[in-house]
Amino acid sequence: MNAGLPTENILELDDVHVFYGAIHALKGVSLTVREGEIVTLIGANGAGKSTTLRAINGLNHARRGSIRFQGNDITTATPHTIVKGGIAQSPEGRRLFPRMTVIENLEMGAFQRTDRENFQADMDRVFELFPRLYERRTQNAGTMSGGEQQMCAIGRALMARPKLLLLDEPSMGLAPIFVEKIFEIVREINAQGTPVLLVEQNALMALDAAHRGYVMETGRIALEGEAAELKTNEAVQKAYLGLE
Amino acid sequence: MASALERLRRSSAVDLTGLGLVALVLFWLAVNFVKAPAEFINVGLIGLTNGAIYGIVALGYTIVYGILQLINFAHGDVFALSGLVASTVIVSVLGLDADASVPVIVGGMLLTLVVIMTMFSFVNATIERVAYKPLRHAPRLAPLITAIGVSFIVQNVGLAIYGVNFRSVPAFIPPTNVFEIGGVSYTWDKLAALMVVVPLLGLLTWFVRQTRQGKAMRAVSQDREASAMMGIDVNRTISITFAIAGSLAGAAGIVFLLQFNMRYDTGFELGLIAFTAAVLGGIGNLPGAVLGAILIGLIQAFNEGLTWFAPGSDWTRTIVFGILILILVFRPEGLLGERTPEGA
Ligand SMILES: Nc1ncnc2c1ncn2[C@@H]1O[C@H](COP(=O)(O)OP(=O)(O)OP(=O)(O)O)[C@@H](O)[C@H]1O
Ligand SMILES: [Mg+2]
Repeated sequence: MNAGLPTENILELDDVHVFYGAIHALKGVSLTVREGEIVTLIGANGAGKSTTLRAINGLNHARRGSIRFQGNDITTATPHTIVKGGIAQSPEGRRLFPRMTVIENLEMGAFQRTDRENFQADMDRVFELFPRLYERRTQNAGTMSGGEQQMCAIGRALMARPKLLLLDEPSMGLAPIFVEKIFEIVREINAQGTPVLLVEQNALMALDAAHRGYVMETGRIALEGEAAELKTNEAVQKAYLGLE
Repeated sequence: MASALERLRRSSAVDLTGLGLVALVLFWLAVNFVKAPAEFINVGLIGLTNGAIYGIVALGYTIVYGILQLINFAHGDVFALSGLVASTVIVSVLGLDADASVPVIVGGMLLTLVVIMTMFSFVNATIERVAYKPLRHAPRLAPLITAIGVSFIVQNVGLAIYGVNFRSVPAFIPPTNVFEIGGVSYTWDKLAALMVVVPLLGLLTWFVRQTRQGKAMRAVSQDREASAMMGIDVNRTISITFAIAGSLAGAAGIVFLLQFNMRYDTGFELGLIAFTAAVLGGIGNLPGAVLGAILIGLIQAFNEGLTWFAPGSDWTRTIVFGILILILVFRPEGLLGERTPEGA
């Protein structure tokens, strides 16, 4: 499936443990994302998918284990240095700045960038991907519909020109036609060279879009493999694809 | 259903009482205006000027609250200490007095502003670093109590350095009239206060709306974690916010000193007044803080300066803090604030 892809790891998690107070949320997660890949992370509610992305982003530091990005250890780095290094996230629940306009939200996405000259071109590209956002560009993000907010959150992450894009349930709350469109955009972003780590509830579509996948269960990686293989895996079909 | 109806009835009763009260106040103002129009306008101008000074102190409360959800009780005391240090700069270092020429006065004022604003931006940022940052993830009560502690510390630093006596500066900006039209007049010392406050308000508005760092400040106020995910250095942004609040307090200390005596505890009451102004406008809301401060300045001036049935200065505190209680009870989000789950 991923023949022709370079096999260099851009992201490596090795035995990562994360705690919320006394709650042991990640119990030794190891995964990799290679250059050019879409990797999906699926699993039941509370399995630890968002926590994994938060650990990568430096919002919850791993108490044990290590996280390497492009060969550098970022396990204990601060979030803003990690973002500056090239990891952008569209977080669960969108987390837009509600009393800032769409344009200002997009500007915040590009906050750590130093190449101000490409800024307008990138914003135009986001507006091209999401024409609806252009119509809403001077509206406060908090007053937009859920779907519009989701587009803005993805656009905001793209504005960082990331070397690795983390997407936490980008299709959440979107009408089916928009879900299709979001997956199309994820493929397109990836085709232009950006590796993507995609957390999804919609396991079927995620496995269709991804090269490889990981299945999480209660803080651990239960299964991993080529996306096409996972799709035909009996346990996955039963638990996540709603097939008997 | 019944409870919704009940709530409707109750809120309309509250609205009616409120409207009645506002009507009464407007009537009282109108009668005073008709009886002595020039005096009324003079008193109003005093209120506006004081309100503007309260405004830059109130902004310090509101931007810090916005970014940390912390009521920085030490803010008023930082203001008072800055006024005391300004008195040293003006009297002992620069030696400004009533005989000084205009260029010397203007230059001296600007120099004092730069020195004091820089100094107190560092003082305030240091307070945050030392006293509040370690409590960033503690329950909200902890930094609140620490803030009260810092308030006492700053006050006592003022007491230790300057003693219990009031300090003042010679009237180097003379309280002579800028204009006088039909009994309505305005003096230079008050205009000097506005000439400092109004540009600062403009500068702050521009900073918060237009600049990268100002937008980062708003972003951190709205969602600290999402800001971190955008690559914003949250700690640095919080430090900058405290630095700005400190420099505004410093500027307020100087212009206050031009008209009033100050001592170590001046910041307690003025801090509470400015805090009330920030709550009245909607804490966390910048234009709200200025609006609230101007309203409080006007209320205070009309109360103390009008002649027809004015309660007088003995009642000023009662009225100001009565307003605080009324807002907290009936409109906790303030005049311009939005309703949040916490009602703040
Ligand atoms: N802030 C927190 N405090 C305490 N426990 C938390 C916190 N956030 C998450 N958890 C716990 O950590 C575990 C993993 O949560 P996480 O949000 O990573 O799951 P998820 O796989 O993203 O779930 P979902 O599909 O519902 O988004 C859960 O048991 C959750 O209850
Ligand atoms: Mg999640």
